[in-house]
Amino acid sequence: MKVPQILGLLSGDGSRPLRQQLAITLAVVFTASILVAVLLLDQLFAWQARGLIDQRSGFFMDSMLAVREYTSKDVNPIVAPLNEGPGVFRPEAVPSYSATSVFEYLKQAKPDYKQYSYREAALNPTNLKDKADTFETSIIQSFREAPSTGSLTGEKVTPLGRFHYVARPIKISKDSCLVCHSTPERAPRSQLLAYGDSNGYGWQLNEVVGAQIVTVPQDAVLKAKRQSLLTTALLLALVFVVVGLAANSVLNRLILRPMRQISQKAEEASVTPASVSFDEKSRADEIGLLARSFERMKQSLAISMQMLKDRQKP
Amino acid sequence: MILLALVLGACGFSPGSSSALCGPTGVLRVGLLAPSEGSTSTAQSFSDAELQALKSLLLQASRCDVVLEPLNSVDRARTSLSERRWDLAFLPPGLTAYAMGSSAGYTSVRSLGSSRRSRSAILVRESSHYHSLQDLQQARIGLLPRGSLTGFYLPLYNLHGLNLARVSYALNHAALLAMLDHAEVEAIAWDEALPPPSLAVRRLHVDAHVLPLGAMVLSGSLTSSDYIAFLRALDANAAQMPTGLGYAAGVLPEQQAIQPLKAIVESVEAWQLPLDGQPYRVYGAKAAG
Ligand code: HEC
Repeated sequence: MKVPQILGLLSGDGSRPLRQQLAITLAVVFTASILVAVLLLDQLFAWQARGLIDQRSGFFMDSMLAVREYTSKDVNPIVAPLNEGPGVFRPEAVPSYSATSVFEYLKQAKPDYKQYSYREAALNPTNLKDKADTFETSIIQSFREAPSTGSLTGEKVTPLGRFHYVARPIKISKDSCLVCHSTPERAPRSQLLAYGDSNGYGWQLNEVVGAQIVTVPQDAVLKAKRQSLLTTALLLALVFVVVGLAANSVLNRLILRPMRQISQKAEEASVTPASVSFDEKSRADEIGLLARSFERMKQSLAISMQMLKDRQKP
Repeated sequence: MILLALVLGACGFSPGSSSALCGPTGVLRVGLLAPSEGSTSTAQSFSDAELQALKSLLLQASRCDVVLEPLNSVDRARTSLSERRWDLAFLPPGLTAYAMGSSAGYTSVRSLGSSRRSRSAILVRESSHYHSLQDLQQARIGLLPRGSLTGFYLPLYNLHGLNLARVSYALNHAALLAMLDHAEVEAIAWDEALPPPSLAVRRLHVDAHVLPLGAMVLSGSLTSSDYIAFLRALDANAAQMPTGLGYAAGVLPEQQAIQPLKAIVESVEAWQLPLDGQPYRVYGAKAAG
């Protein structure tokens, strides 16, 4: 198809009935606008979904900081004396332990949260479960090199798929942390028996020792985005269908039906002009104009026919 | 309709979704201890690279996110097992016996560690005046933390009926030996598979049980799902396992040797157990071991 042909198809070249032409034009325009809208909204929604997840991750990390604070200030003073005694080490006094435990409960609160995972990874951890892997080590290293960095976000790929992550540094800001994390001699004896004396010591004040890392499967981002996109596209399509139906009915009522009537009357008028009346002439729109023109033509025709009849009389 | 059927069919056959082997929390929680009790810490038994390789192997075999928890302390591991916090664990013999007990409900599926002919012994200094277990009345004694077979369950079982002046714990046999050397205790628990100590010591008692090897155990929720493909994947890639783990591909743990030990562990567990640095009376119902 050549360009003029396409333009002809779109704007009409008089080769089709009006209604069909309108349907074609509207369908093409609507489809094109839905496509363009979806393409633009795709970007917008992806950005929004990521924003939402970053915001939620940030909220999680803030909550975990609050849990840590609560444990340091309110729980530790009560439990710490127990850990100095002969019993088994109670990790409930440990800020990191309560944060990760609370997060596990949080995940059960809403199915949406289940996909999030929270880690407090460290280069030299007390609990070897928190040992930073290669990816986490690189994040912690970049926090150590640029201590003013507030947070890092990005994407990582694992055998389980793509993940979106948000990370913040963990800095030793209080001397109270060093009771348990500086030397085995300073730590409670029960902690030594529980975690050993070979790891999790030698931390310094103001050192970045690890990172809080929240990860979410990229699928979750994509799913949220796809859902918004699908809803919007369906709504748009619905609006367009309504607009199309309305345009069709307006076209039919205002133009097509009167035009068919006028054309029928014009046909009759060509035989018996006197008996035909173009009632649409009272209308104020273009149909009224057309009817008035036909009315004048009918009158001229009637006069001409009368004159012709008179001349034929002997 | 046909399209729908096709889509559903495609989902059903997609690998991963159907065959992921996860714990009830949606991840695979894995506990890891060095297979020999009280020799070195878990941290030192496995290098970072080995741990990462193990983690990625477990992840590939289970297709589930893996939380790997290497522990230095058998006591904390015991707590994790009793609370069923792990879906899978690599355990030394004592904890294997504990995990297979009715309270924890794990099943051992693969043998770990190399044959060491471990036996539990009680050592005193060569110069000491102790000649039989009965002489240890009111003595101070050094043990490994709760959960160890050679360092905790068997010694306590053998010391049944004694009043001890103090029980002190150490994380490994080397630290116990140092306590004996510094005269902080009069007797310590020992494992006969270890190289002979540098200190001049005497064996006060050697337990008759030859200890089984450690094992890889699965939780009840894993054994009730289809874990055969997972095990097969581990067996096929056993070379990726840390060498210190001694994972034996396709080798089921021997059940016979562990039965009497399970009974001993269960009966000692039912006692009121000693606290660090406190006096203790070894007393409670005793199973026939
Ligand atoms: C009562 C002793 C104690 C105190 C006080 C303490 N910690 Fe810890 N910390 C621990 C123990 C024990 C763990 C391991 C917890 C577990 O089993 O998950 C830990 C874990 C951590 C971890 C996770 C990485 C790792 O080492 O396993 C971080 C990060 C951490 N602590 C930072 C801090 C900071 C910051 C403070 C001060 C606000 C602090 N800790 C205070 C004992 C303590």
